[in-house]
Amino acid sequence: MARIGVFVCWCGSNIAGTVDVKRVAEEAAKIPGVVEAVDYKYMCSDPGQNTLRKMIKDKNLTGVVLAACSPHMHENTFRKAAVKEGLNPYFIEIANIREQVSWVHEDKEKATEKAIDLLKMMVEKVKKNKAIEDVRVPLTKKALVIGGGISGIQAALDIANGGVEVILVEKEPSIGGKMIQLDETFPTLDCSSCIMTPKMVEVYQHPNIKLYTYSELEEVSGYIGNFNVKIKKKARSIVEKDCTGCGDCWNICPMHKNVKSEFNVNLSERTAIYVPFPQAVPLIPVIDRSVCLHYKKGGKCQKCYDACGPKCINFDLQDEIIEEKVGAIVAATGYDLMENSLYGEYGYGQFKDVISGLQFERLLSASGPTEGVVKRPSDGKTPETIVFIQCVGSRDPEKGVPYCSKVCCMYTAKHAKLFAHKVHGSQSYVFYIDIRATSKGYEEFVRGTMENEGAIYLRGRVSKIYEDNGKLIVKGADTLSGNQVEIAADMVVLATGVIPKKGSDKMAQMLGISYDKYGFYTESHPKLRPAESSTAGIYLAGMAQGPRDIPESVVSGSAAASKILGLFSKSEYEVEGTIASVNKTTCVGCFYCRRVCAYSAISKEEIKDRNGNVLKVVANVNSGLCAGCGACVNACFSKSIDLKGYLDEQIFAEIKSLAV
Amino acid sequence: MKTVINEQERRNFAREVESKLHDKLAKCYQCGKCSAGCPVNFEMDFTPNQIIKMTELGMTDRVLNSKTIWLCVSCNTCSTRCPKGFEVAGIMDVLREIAVNRGIESKTEKEVQTFHEVFLDNVKSNGRIFELELVGKYKLKTKHLFRDMFLAPKMIEKGKLKMHSDKVSDINQIAKIFKDFE
Repeated sequence: MARIGVFVCWCGSNIAGTVDVKRVAEEAAKIPGVVEAVDYKYMCSDPGQNTLRKMIKDKNLTGVVLAACSPHMHENTFRKAAVKEGLNPYFIEIANIREQVSWVHEDKEKATEKAIDLLKMMVEKVKKNKAIEDVRVPLTKKALVIGGGISGIQAALDIANGGVEVILVEKEPSIGGKMIQLDETFPTLDCSSCIMTPKMVEVYQHPNIKLYTYSELEEVSGYIGNFNVKIKKKARSIVEKDCTGCGDCWNICPMHKNVKSEFNVNLSERTAIYVPFPQAVPLIPVIDRSVCLHYKKGGKCQKCYDACGPKCINFDLQDEIIEEKVGAIVAATGYDLMENSLYGEYGYGQFKDVISGLQFERLLSASGPTEGVVKRPSDGKTPETIVFIQCVGSRDPEKGVPYCSKVCCMYTAKHAKLFAHKVHGSQSYVFYIDIRATSKGYEEFVRGTMENEGAIYLRGRVSKIYEDNGKLIVKGADTLSGNQVEIAADMVVLATGVIPKKGSDKMAQMLGISYDKYGFYTESHPKLRPAESSTAGIYLAGMAQGPRDIPESVVSGSAAASKILGLFSKSEYEVEGTIASVNKTTCVGCFYCRRVCAYSAISKEEIKDRNGNVLKVVANVNSGLCAGCGACVNACFSKSIDLKGYLDEQIFAEIKSLAV
Repeated sequence: MKTVINEQERRNFAREVESKLHDKLAKCYQCGKCSAGCPVNFEMDFTPNQIIKMTELGMTDRVLNSKTIWLCVSCNTCSTRCPKGFEVAGIMDVLREIAVNRGIESKTEKEVQTFHEVFLDNVKSNGRIFELELVGKYKLKTKHLFRDMFLAPKMIEKGKLKMHSDKVSDINQIAKIFKDFE
């Protein structure tokens, strides 16, 4: 027999001003099963909680209903009080008569009626409540960071410095990501590699970080605290522990023509055995088997092997699969630039001196193909006039993407500034639609480029570029003066838009996290949970989430790290017990539930007889992953899934209580 | 209209304007507040901010032949309100000066140009404005002898139109200023 206690809170005048709380309590006392109903000024206060505890004890209550504020406010407060008296916390129910009644109604009579109805519903529900235990999940205190760019490096270092082991996986032969390709960084003009390389070396030498470069994630299974990952370590053809990085091998390699350097964005050539750049971490070369003569000509060429002092080159090395168990994952897979060739009217690929922003970055860089001297790719002459075009691909829903790539305004201003510094008497023209310079020091930086470096900014897009007499003729518009303009330039730099890393959608599917229509990973909540993915235990960092600059990428890496350190600070991961559960007798194994589950929480389970024959396959809910959203409950055709705490019989009891 | 930007011409023109203006054209960030508050904007062919941009881009002919530079009444509302402290009214003065030096005659605003010339002559010979002489010479030059005549009695009544010149005591000083400038 149910023994329900009812408490009606005044919340000062917040509720009592609009609801006749005394009457609500009187009406509640008349409901069968209610042993006592009282009203009190502030239920959340210590004396209020003591009243609650005293009644649970004295009247031996089996359920409690509070008519008070939203459960978001004090459900936990009251649950904790109940637990102290030995009552299961899920026997506490709250009728929200503040946000849903007193704050939104004026008519006291009608508001009181509504409050009584809400209270009745909760009393009927709590009669059907069952004890629920919270779920505890064990934690493997080791983290996996995917991507060795600045955000991944920051996340790995912060986690490692917090005393937790980290595995850092990078697809390329060296860590450093896109940032290491940059020359100087806005708005302070810090040399990018000068601030990046110490961090890369720190990662390499950190006792808590295990670094896998030239490696890719193959498979991820499991759930928060208990992920099993398979990492494919691609064959470098080098025995890493013996390599000294002396360079004898790549200096002798005969394949030094026709292979474009990825690091220099096709502006220079590299050998078949190569390190992407001199400061690479680790400084261990890799053989590009697709171009190496040894592999192409049946083992004839082995010049590098002959030149190698420690004899660490092994042409027969194979890909390796490494299995690891981790408790949390950071997805920091970074970004790519859009294809400039989308814009035939700009002649990228057709005219050698139309280049992308990242290529110009390499031309400015002291470690670049021209050692920091600005020379145009076609004839090696120093350009005197450069036209920069912003929003190439960005903010172009027809050919490109509708979003703003965020960094282009700033890097173009930086390019124009550095060009003025390097080539005296030169002239930059910048075509823009809007200037978006919103962080600290950014607006001043762009103004400085215009006012102190003499860059001319024209508001408008460029419609066509063509070659005439060794010059690139840029046809654009200045919408501010309403003129069509034509500029003869020596070089054109396109501020190409940012898109997610190729394959980021596949990565998201492998990890079981959601991504948007462009392929950027989506946050659990865009404002309040920006570091978390939709799946528990997987965190996001860097440009993989959307366009952002270096400081923001660093912040997001640290945010993901702090979330993981927080998770690992407890011995077990605790989840609310209100999760889905499957009735395995009635489940027909259609797995429609799997399709609607946003958290990849539903797996297949085989029911076997005593001989081990599979009788049927049913759905199984992973309690570590389930977020208790209830989508599967609605989707289930055979009504075999229930959400604990919100069983059908509880919901029906609520509705029936309103029947006149 | 199409403009082919010639880098050398653009630089020369922008530098000439900047040196006379003692201000940088790049300061202007094209917010348009000058044009928003200009009391004669409705008669102009280019707004003041367009004039600044076109000067920066070296669109010499269009700027020096514009109505705008002659229609500006130098009320200085633009310069006073400019968030960047740019000499908007000042640039109009500079452009008028360059236009006159290059012998460009405004096709549409001849009378305004005439008025400026008569005004300067008047200052040169009196050291300050002698209204009656100014009005007389202006009317003779423009041949609009009777326009606005009804205003004269009112102005005389209020003491705004004096009958004799009130020259400054040392006219040589004024002559020196003009000489220095020329």
